[in-house]
Amino acid sequence: MGEVILTMKGIDKSFPGVHALDHVDLEVRKGEVHALMGENGAGKSTLMKVLTGIYTKDSGTITYEGREVEFHNPREAQEAGIVIVHQELNMMNHLTVAQNIFIGREFMKGKLIDDVRMNAEAKKLFTQLGIDINPAEKMGNLTVGKQQMCEIAKAISHEAKVIIFDEPSAALTEAEIEELFKIIRDLREKQLGIVYISHRMDEIKVITDRVTVMRDGGYVGTLITEQCTKDDIINMMVGRVIYEEPKTQSMVPPDAPVVLKVEHLNAGKMVQDVSFELHKGEILGFSGLMGAGRTETARALFGADPKESGDIYVNGKKVDIKSPEDAVKNGIGYLSEDRKRYGIVVGKTVAENSTMANLRDFVKGLFIDKRKENQVTNEYIDKLKTKTPSVDQLVINLSGGNQQKVVLAKWLVKNCDILIFDEPTRGIDVGAKSEIYHLMNELAAAGKSIIMISSEMTEILRMSDRIVVMCEGRKTAEIDIAEATQENIMHAATLR
Amino acid sequence: MENFKNLPIVKKLGFNRIILVLVLIAMYFIFSLGSGRMLGQSDLMNALNMVDYLGFLALGVTFVIATGGIDFSIGPVMVCSGLIAGRLLVTFGWPLWLALIMCVVVGMIFGVFNGILVAFMGLPSFISSMASMMLAKGVGSVFTHVQNSNWPASGAPNSGYKYFVSYNGIPTGLIFLLVVTIICSILLNKTLIGRYILCIGSNREAVRLSGVDTRKWEALAYVICGTLAGIAAITYVGVITQVQPGLGDEFNNNAIASCVMGGTSMAGGVASIGGTFIGVLIISLLRVGIQAMGFRPDYQYIITGIIVALAVFADIRSSARKK
Repeated sequence: MGEVILTMKGIDKSFPGVHALDHVDLEVRKGEVHALMGENGAGKSTLMKVLTGIYTKDSGTITYEGREVEFHNPREAQEAGIVIVHQELNMMNHLTVAQNIFIGREFMKGKLIDDVRMNAEAKKLFTQLGIDINPAEKMGNLTVGKQQMCEIAKAISHEAKVIIFDEPSAALTEAEIEELFKIIRDLREKQLGIVYISHRMDEIKVITDRVTVMRDGGYVGTLITEQCTKDDIINMMVGRVIYEEPKTQSMVPPDAPVVLKVEHLNAGKMVQDVSFELHKGEILGFSGLMGAGRTETARALFGADPKESGDIYVNGKKVDIKSPEDAVKNGIGYLSEDRKRYGIVVGKTVAENSTMANLRDFVKGLFIDKRKENQVTNEYIDKLKTKTPSVDQLVINLSGGNQQKVVLAKWLVKNCDILIFDEPTRGIDVGAKSEIYHLMNELAAAGKSIIMISSEMTEILRMSDRIVVMCEGRKTAEIDIAEATQENIMHAATLR
Repeated sequence: MENFKNLPIVKKLGFNRIILVLVLIAMYFIFSLGSGRMLGQSDLMNALNMVDYLGFLALGVTFVIATGGIDFSIGPVMVCSGLIAGRLLVTFGWPLWLALIMCVVVGMIFGVFNGILVAFMGLPSFISSMASMMLAKGVGSVFTHVQNSNWPASGAPNSGYKYFVSYNGIPTGLIFLLVVTIICSILLNKTLIGRYILCIGSNREAVRLSGVDTRKWEALAYVICGTLAGIAAITYVGVITQVQPGLGDEFNNNAIASCVMGGTSMAGGVASIGGTFIGVLIISLLRVGIQAMGFRPDYQYIITGIIVALAVFADIRSSARKK
């Protein structure tokens, strides 16, 4: 670690009704990877937005390279050398890699764009970073991982001195994360200051030098990563110990009836001849790498996408599922990995979302029985401990974890017996995550059957009674939890 | 201002609607000043004539816009209904009540057609309503052999349809419209239909994945819209008596402008029936007011255009703020 390059001291920021940042400190040194951690809503993003001039701070000082600074917009920060690599990539898919990297500052030859020079400059950047990407390739043809690399290259090309990574690994495969870490270590070598925002505890231990933890908009403390344990960090984040051990044996009695049987399901390249059974009260984990076809299998099973062939049996009876409507009628509920697009109607209230799947039961005569709707919604707010000021709150104003609970409430109000959780804790903070886990266990204990698709190995090992592993559209293994290890799952996930 | 917005009464009525009413009142005085006399009963009755049919059109298209769609066929559909029903009444000697029902039925058929194209066949509503706009114009012209459809004049036998617009000086048209406005408001805010229509406009895919047949509800919005265009035809013929083929485009624009002004979001998911109603009043008063001030009626287009642009801009601004 070198000298201090960036100091934020006593940063304070309020929005109407919310004290978003309460005297927060952050110090970044040259040649350091500094983790910024905290639950969703802890104020990490707000702090970074204050730093890069998207928000104006109410008080506090920012010292950068020995001078007090205040940026008024991201461009000013960028010009000074502070760059954010966003979680959601801001790339134009139909442009080439080089065109994306140099967007807004194209190399010109007279009045025309000099693509040859741009490609050459991009190539130089990639060589510098040790990545192998063709600058003339269309951005849309790259994997998410490679696109992220391009985003980093773009940051470097701004001669960045401080790079902020906002949950860079959320959409990456294990291999891509390894590659990302190589680059980050390389940038650390080159004496850049790096801020790394992530929810993944394992990564923090691997890649970072120091950790600053925030909670509810306040500064909790800064630790040296080497000298602390995961539990230390989690304790600081939530103020309680919540780490749970992996499951060692299945909780399902051996004679539990089969509630869902899928036979030879086919739907395009991503779902080829998939067969499996789900027992009553079971949590069936679906593991695999990104692009293994797990979500596609779930969507085909649920009727969200058309299937080509395959038979589905619910409680031993063959059913014809052509649309989500059919699936829901047969007691299947689907919690999508992409809540905002497929799970909730963000512009509507908690009550409206909770009763979406069986609104007909809330109709009295011609009208919606608002009182019954509110009463049932409140019941599930209590049951799931959803944090919302009222049933009339718009879901867009809730945190990720609470939005997930609203989606869950929707299926519980419908009384679905088979629940498909697709990445149930993606983008959800540690505290809410453990609550979701508890809920899933309670549901399974109460006789609901759960399919859980997850890309997090720890989640798969902690929650599943049995694990189906997929790779490139095919089922490659079915492992009982008693025999499951990271190694044999990963082996099956990379079979071809 | 913030304090005012947070008053319970303001929240209940809606800040935007209060502003709209104030705009309406301000317009009345501006036009009165500009024309050098207070706008009197005859001016207002003149404005009301337009309010009636424009109102039904705007109410209908509010449902479609709430789903995130658009319908450019309502004006021509209304004219087409008037043409067909008029010819059935006068040339083919159908009884009046049946001709009036035909008005509504023709509108409904176009609504079903639009609904099938958009919701079941997946056409963009912009395109499909263009198609049905052409169809409506063509069918109306063909059916009447490009002749005017002359409904019976006041006092003549079979002129009872005029009572839908006014009866002995009572503005029955306005009362009729108010009743339908209240029904639409209940439909949109208190029933399954309205709930699903608004949710579809907000996030169609999430609604579909909740096991709701979104196609059915979306199509229903177009059917409601078409049916109301048919009802609009009754008051339209009540006002103008002679229906000319090939017309109707300008009513689309006025109806859609009324919706947008009233706070219905073109992006879907947010709609206000009350706002639409006030929007209709504003547009209608605008036309009469501009004439009273001595401008040619075509100036109205310019002002309406500017108002629509401003209203949409305000809509985009407010939804950007929410994010």
